[in-house]
Amino acid sequence: MMELRRTLTGRIALTAIATVILLFLALPIVVILVTSFSNNAFAAFPPDSWTLGWYKALFADGSKWPAALSLSAFVAALSTVFSLIIGVTAATALTRSELPLRSAVYALVLGPLLIPQIVTALGLFLLFEPASMLGSPIAIALGHTVLASPIAVLILVATLRGIDERLEDAAASMGAGRLTIARRITFPLAAPGMIAAAIFSFITSFDEFYISQFLSSVDTVTLPVQIYNSLTFDIDPSVTAISAILIAFAILALALVALVRWLGSGRQDSLLSVENTAGIAAPGGEAV
Amino acid sequence: MAATLTANAPARPRKLLASRRTRVGILYALPVVVYLLVLFVYPILSTLFLSLKNTDGSLTLHWYVDALTGINLSVLLTTVRISAETALFSLVFGFVLANAISRLKPLWAGVAMLIVVVPHFISALVRTYGWIILLGDKGLVNDTLAKLWVPGAPFQLLYNEIGVVIGTTSVMLPYTVLLLYSVMRGVDRRLLAAAASMGAGRVTIFRRVYLPLVAPGLASAGLLSFILSLGYYITPALMGGPDQTMIASLINQQVMKQNQWNGAAAEGVVLLLLTFAGLLLVKVVTSFGASRKKRSAS
Repeated sequence: MMELRRTLTGRIALTAIATVILLFLALPIVVILVTSFSNNAFAAFPPDSWTLGWYKALFADGSKWPAALSLSAFVAALSTVFSLIIGVTAATALTRSELPLRSAVYALVLGPLLIPQIVTALGLFLLFEPASMLGSPIAIALGHTVLASPIAVLILVATLRGIDERLEDAAASMGAGRLTIARRITFPLAAPGMIAAAIFSFITSFDEFYISQFLSSVDTVTLPVQIYNSLTFDIDPSVTAISAILIAFAILALALVALVRWLGSGRQDSLLSVENTAGIAAPGGEAV
Repeated sequence: MAATLTANAPARPRKLLASRRTRVGILYALPVVVYLLVLFVYPILSTLFLSLKNTDGSLTLHWYVDALTGINLSVLLTTVRISAETALFSLVFGFVLANAISRLKPLWAGVAMLIVVVPHFISALVRTYGWIILLGDKGLVNDTLAKLWVPGAPFQLLYNEIGVVIGTTSVMLPYTVLLLYSVMRGVDRRLLAAAASMGAGRVTIFRRVYLPLVAPGLASAGLLSFILSLGYYITPALMGGPDQTMIASLINQQVMKQNQWNGAAAEGVVLLLLTFAGLLLVKVVTSFGASRKKRSAS
């Protein structure tokens, strides 16, 4: 392969522009992290003096944040359970069986990811309003699952495609039943993918705004809706601290996914002496 | 005789097995299909019906007339304009960045990819808030510009279209970069080398070989960015002024403040149709690109 010759100035210009664009992506995040420790939340960057006051204010008496945080965590946990059940069954159907109308099922799964979330949210509002389920955490979790389960399905499809079916066939040839194969072979190999699917489902629900806003009531306000309300109606500087916590949470979750992937990566190779050429398909690689 | 035996013998069990595998497949596909039919397809169909229903229950198109005239039409046009601007800027910045990353050494490419991917998983609400802090009169951007003696600083960067497009572009950009990066990884570098070996200059190679190869990927990435921008609500609502109201804000207002569900449903269907039109274009562009790739390979 021949690399094209590039001039030094061209190279410097390219690096400079790329750095500016990366700054464009990173700055809004960095500024929140820094400002959350600043004594004056609305001015002067970098800050003159530092404080933990905004974080303390989050958990002070009468603060709305703990309730919003625990509601969001509860809804996200429920939604993660629903998404995993749907994800595991759907991924099994899509990778380990002859499925009629497979591409229609794929289109259905991708639908919620491509259609504007406000339309999905409006539809769910029209569904749950007559059932007087507005404000119910269950309704919000069911709604979030519409968005989170497709992500779980795509991750788990990629995971199951990456597992060599010969391992399952080998176990079957030695007399293992289907449950034993699932428990002893497929599940241990798919565990990293399932953890990744769980984490991404959780984040999707935890950060979701549109459905939460349509389905929430005065008493059930999820964290993103509370943040949005603080930014539009009552200016509350502790919103910086909660945003910083959300950022830390997202970074932690991504690190966890990376760690699980890394720990799981060696597993199959030790079981397979033949080189595994299946690879891991890109999520949604088959569709669109 | 022996040949037909061996040919026929596995056929029956395989057929049996196939039908068993089909039954298992349908059984396992049921949860996702039923779930999404009930909580995704049915709600959207009922939105469609609501948008066609008069207050007395008869069929009508007048909600669509409302949605496509007067102030609502201008909101629709604003939505298309801001989405187009967002898609254009994401595409240009995304192209430069993805191109740079695909040329970097693995370590630096990894670091750069991390800076792209991490924001993608941080809520758009939080990133929008970050921009509100940055772009204020005394924010970092104006502060820096003032210190550099840029004439006219501080600029009004919030509550107008500049602010909105900065915000939406920054929310969209990670996605566009990821799309473009996979397009660029798919380019056969030997074609560029072949062109260079035949004496083509860098500009010629870029224009005549590289660009045609990535053009379908660029077009579909741009279209997808455009489609996904159409439904933005948080960023325009928080960073824009009244002139930057997008269709999602309108839907929200009609449901929450005016209790006007039929109108909101019609707006939703218009947004849905715009999305479908965009997806259809993506499909056309992708199949066009696939046929071109086949030709260039042969």
